[in-house]
Amino acid sequence: MERKWRKIWGLIGLLLLNFVNNVSSLSLTITKVECVYKIVRSEGDIVSGNFVVVDHHIFWSSDHPGIDFSIISPGGDILHNLKGTSGDKFSFKAPRSGLYQFCFHNPLSTPETIALYIHIGHIPNEHNLAKNEHVDPINVKIAELREALEAVTTEQKYLKARDAVHRRTNESTKKRVIGYTVGEYILLTIASVLQVVYIRRLFSKSVGYNRI
Amino acid sequence: MSGNAKLRRSVMFQAVLLVVLMLASSNAPVGDAIWLNVPPTGTKCVSEEIQSNVVVLSDYVVVSDDHGHVPTISAKVTSPYGNNLHHKENVTHGQFAFTTQEAGNYLACFWTDSHTRGAGEVSVNIEWKTGIAAKDWESVARKEKIEGVELELRKLEGAVEAIHENLLYLRDREAEMRTTSENTNARVAWFSIMSLGICIVVSGSQIWYLKCYFQKKKLI
Repeated sequence: MERKWRKIWGLIGLLLLNFVNNVSSLSLTITKVECVYKIVRSEGDIVSGNFVVVDHHIFWSSDHPGIDFSIISPGGDILHNLKGTSGDKFSFKAPRSGLYQFCFHNPLSTPETIALYIHIGHIPNEHNLAKNEHVDPINVKIAELREALEAVTTEQKYLKARDAVHRRTNESTKKRVIGYTVGEYILLTIASVLQVVYIRRLFSKSVGYNRI
Repeated sequence: MSGNAKLRRSVMFQAVLLVVLMLASSNAPVGDAIWLNVPPTGTKCVSEEIQSNVVVLSDYVVVSDDHGHVPTISAKVTSPYGNNLHHKENVTHGQFAFTTQEAGNYLACFWTDSHTRGAGEVSVNIEWKTGIAAKDWESVARKEKIEGVELELRKLEGAVEAIHENLLYLRDREAEMRTTSENTNARVAWFSIMSLGICIVVSGSQIWYLKCYFQKKKLI
């Protein structure tokens, strides 16, 4: 009876811990440096995520240096460092529990919007339980299954963000095509009308004393 | 260096927070949230592109470093059409929940209040859950009297359905984008040919007009 209660409490505890899987997908605007912090509860958790730079202004130059991204562990070590990217995926095993920083640095002064998604996955194992509790293998399997599904969800968020960027590029191209061609027609017509007016003026005054 | 001091402060603070969390973790609905630093001047905004008919749950708490003075913030959540969904001033914590009516960019902005300014950056713990993550599994478990492995499998089933919906959404968006691309492609071709045509027409009419004009002026 005692063991059954302990097992039930262990199961409920594990259920509550399982509830702690977190999803957070947000878009931030970065002017210079922006840091997002996340708490990793137990060491050995797999932190995975991705970020995509949603272009704030799609301007002339394609030599934008990109955004710098770094992940800093609670001990101050830099776990991941990317320079000049427009989006990437990352995944690492947390060496210790604590507060992790995900920092973005924008080298230019125009603010950029970044869609960020971070997922911390925890699979219960024998390490961090008390001595007289043990992990039910089915819970481990369920946790692994859930982590696999969360990996698919993470990938989907990345695809969704990239699709949004692609869509913006497409709509910008469409607007540019229409705008620039109509502008070109108007300018062409105006230039030719101005040409004709100018030639008329050349001839109208000087017809008397000059034959061009 | 201020970076080091900040790091030390955050390390010490997260240690304290871990202890607090371990003590209070029995019923706390802490779904692992994001921390942000709200600057003393200006607003910090987070946004997400959400489809319509999605449940959004959010909870924000000001994280206080020093024990005496807890800074307060104000929060405002707007829908893509500009409707104000949640607005609170001078609070240390708050929550909001809504079901999205329209698809678009939902914006949640935080700023420090004028009388607690000068304290530097305020750390805010924001928990933001949308869709399947915002589902209240405890009430489902209570209502249908399921628990344990069955509840976990239900959650997994919910996650799979969410993945399926996302895939369909992505496929529809890709189809729309393909239509737009093909449209733009056709337009580029047509507009270029038309531009050539307009060029020829305009220069032809120029020459014809000038010829008429010179003939009228008896120069030719």
